[in-house]
Amino acid sequence: MILTEEQIQSLAEQTLARIDAPDDAALLLEGSIAEGFGNSRSDIDFLLIADQEADMPTMPTIFFIDGRRVEIRTRSVGQITKHLIEVAGHRGRVTRMDEHLLNRCQRFLRGHPVRRPDLITKVRENLSYDMFATVMTKWWAEYARQSVRHAVMLESLGQHDQAAVWARAGLQQAAKSWAARHGETYLEPKWLSLQLDRLAENPLVARYWQTEGTADIIRLVAALGVTGCADTPDRLVVERPREVTTWQIGDRVHLVRDRRDVFVLGDTAARTWRRVVWGRPLAGLGPEGDLIATFVRYGLIRVSWRGAAITPRLPLAAPAGSVTPAPAMTLPLLSIAGAKPAHPRSIDLLPLPAHRFAAAAMALVWGNVMVENAVEDLRGALDREQWRVAALATARAVNGGLRALLCAFGVSPLPSDPELIGGLDMLPAPQPRIAELARQLSRPGSRGEELPEFIAAVRAASGGDAFPSSFDSADGWQRTLDIGYDWLRLGAYLDQQLPLDEAQDLLSSGGAQPHTSSAKEAG
Amino acid sequence: MKILVTGAAGLVGAEVCARLIKNNHQVYGLVHHVRTLTANSGRPVTGVDLIPGDVTQPRLGLDDATWRKLADEVDLIVHSAAITDFGRPRELYQAVNTTGTAHVLELAGFKNARLIHVSTAYVCGEQDGRILETSLDAGQRFGNHYEESKFQAELLVRKAATEATVIRPSVVVGAARTGVVREFKNIYVVLKLLSEGRVTSIPGHFDACVDLVPVDHVAALIADVVEKPAPGQTLHAVGSTVSMRHLSDVLAEYPSFRVPRYVAPATFSAASLGDLERAYWERMLSLYESYFRRRQHFDDTLAAGFRSHKRLSNGPDQLRKIVDYAVRAGYLGSPLPGVAEALAGVGVR
Repeated sequence: MILTEEQIQSLAEQTLARIDAPDDAALLLEGSIAEGFGNSRSDIDFLLIADQEADMPTMPTIFFIDGRRVEIRTRSVGQITKHLIEVAGHRGRVTRMDEHLLNRCQRFLRGHPVRRPDLITKVRENLSYDMFATVMTKWWAEYARQSVRHAVMLESLGQHDQAAVWARAGLQQAAKSWAARHGETYLEPKWLSLQLDRLAENPLVARYWQTEGTADIIRLVAALGVTGCADTPDRLVVERPREVTTWQIGDRVHLVRDRRDVFVLGDTAARTWRRVVWGRPLAGLGPEGDLIATFVRYGLIRVSWRGAAITPRLPLAAPAGSVTPAPAMTLPLLSIAGAKPAHPRSIDLLPLPAHRFAAAAMALVWGNVMVENAVEDLRGALDREQWRVAALATARAVNGGLRALLCAFGVSPLPSDPELIGGLDMLPAPQPRIAELARQLSRPGSRGEELPEFIAAVRAASGGDAFPSSFDSADGWQRTLDIGYDWLRLGAYLDQQLPLDEAQDLLSSGGAQPHTSSAKEAG
Repeated sequence: MKILVTGAAGLVGAEVCARLIKNNHQVYGLVHHVRTLTANSGRPVTGVDLIPGDVTQPRLGLDDATWRKLADEVDLIVHSAAITDFGRPRELYQAVNTTGTAHVLELAGFKNARLIHVSTAYVCGEQDGRILETSLDAGQRFGNHYEESKFQAELLVRKAATEATVIRPSVVVGAARTGVVREFKNIYVVLKLLSEGRVTSIPGHFDACVDLVPVDHVAALIADVVEKPAPGQTLHAVGSTVSMRHLSDVLAEYPSFRVPRYVAPATFSAASLGDLERAYWERMLSLYESYFRRRQHFDDTLAAGFRSHKRLSNGPDQLRKIVDYAVRAGYLGSPLPGVAEALAGVGVR
């Protein structure tokens, strides 16, 4: 220990003089210094143990004595006993045991008694150190197993750098397990090197420091006594995560995660995704390892070790789990055919939540249906010189176009019809010409002369796809309607508030009136 | 008891035999072609005296001695022999399902043996709404020859054997806990065609629904009624409701699956489909067409008084379970590559 008994006693007396401690309380020096680690900068950690059942406040009190930072915590015999019994009596998966609980037990069992050693010895009888060391051996081994399995998975997907990181993490955890088996149970990894120094006569310690390369590391993990994680990628199986669904809109594949996040896949990513079959070997997913690894990272697929979940995690660190990438900022956000991936290997997160994505897309489809029907009505009205009917039809076509344009940029919910022109200021770029044309066409006497220019301008501003070529042919229009049915499925899944069957009928009625000559004029 | 089970080799029949043997009954199994019984789990069912026969024939195609022996000895008949897959000629359904029932009634009537007749919940035809167990002839229209033949068989049963118990299963699927099923028929064929994208649009409503009942629950109810007679009663052996929306949502959970478009039935036209898709539609999926727009909910108040198991309540969970098993078994989940994928595979886009 870096402190002498006299130094410890002196620090203890100075500390106790500053607090209101019961006379019969025990005092323990715990933590890194008590375990024989530490250095001149290490804190002095005391634990005051009140000989009572009732809980004591656990927040530490901090002093600076002789230039050192001294922390003193207080706990009752009842509190500590409860912790020890919880570990001694634990059943089930060992990693379910909380790391802070284990850390408290470890510090208590391996602390250095300063006052009332009799009381400390008595409390320690609730959990033998051998039993605790066995628990820690298994606990670290399970973490090591999970880390190495994750490394095997990443390696099998060709993600060598990431695999190496997790293999190294697994090796450190395996070393902690091995050290615990040999009586070194200090929990935090920061003193692992000193723990291994105390076991240096074992050749595995030298091997620990010398081994590099994922394959060799995995072999050393086994040599350190961690079983069930050999380099056998044939054990890796693709599993279904919770709440990930696939929605093809036209030719484009979208994924919805947790009913909240929408990802759009490029063609190559989509082909890889379509090969995923739950319960089948990971190896059967084809050569696109980086894409599959990304699916795993985003929580879009899970990989198990023959049915057992792989849960890599570093104890005493931030919890692991699926991650969320920065959203893709491609504009416009969506079209009739869904979002647009940046490139064929894209797994792009959209910058709006799933329910608004679906709502905006369906409003976009309705906008198209509105324009289509209004143009049809306008043609009939002009044929019969029904000027007021023509003016109203023109206004409807304008509103449909403005709705489609706003939706293409993710505006949802939409403003009401009278505010649609004003709503153009919500777009990222100003659209003065479209606003001007919309105002002209919305005048009571309008006969729709500027409508072709308006539609062309909306199409250009919305990237073409949002306002598709459906006005050019009956086939194109039918395709728009077919895609409308695709959106309905997603809307139903996300509980969008719309009457689904009526929506089906609306789409069908739109399909029953394929546009002909006036559409070509309008387009 | 001495019990004759017709259709003993069938999905339901074999499960019923296994339960009756377990309950220490002496079981005769009328079989058409097979000579061994296999439970839904794939394990053999032993202890059943198998009798080759044919329900379409007078006296079940049995020789006089066998017919007489059964007529004299049998205390109870479970009549589960039926053609249940779709798309067969009307005459075949009539011969097996209706005439076959008449032949079984003759045997049961000889010495007043009890009869449990296995019908179908879909004798209700295309009626929508809540379907009661007490309802039979409501002037309904039928979706296919199968339903019609089972309806006519029930009429025969009710006329000739007023004390008979009628059990009406809905769509029989894999086991409640595991989803395991011995054979992939009916709804499984629909799932296969839709999930592989062979048919991409169907004329249906999101709120249309079918009822799925696990095969073990059907067999369990029949075994329960063997022990606790329900003379003159009709019991729905039903499970959980799966709407077309549930179907869409659950299929979307499988990355390799396609999800069909639901098109308003009034405007659906098979003629607008491509040649191959139209062929799949006309030859196979159109047989199930009316199920995509029915909104039927089966009341099972009477059955609840007899069954020893709990009715399943979560339709999507049950659907997921049977799909998962079909994927595990390799029946679903391995579509042929599409044209785009095939071209990509050889470096052509």
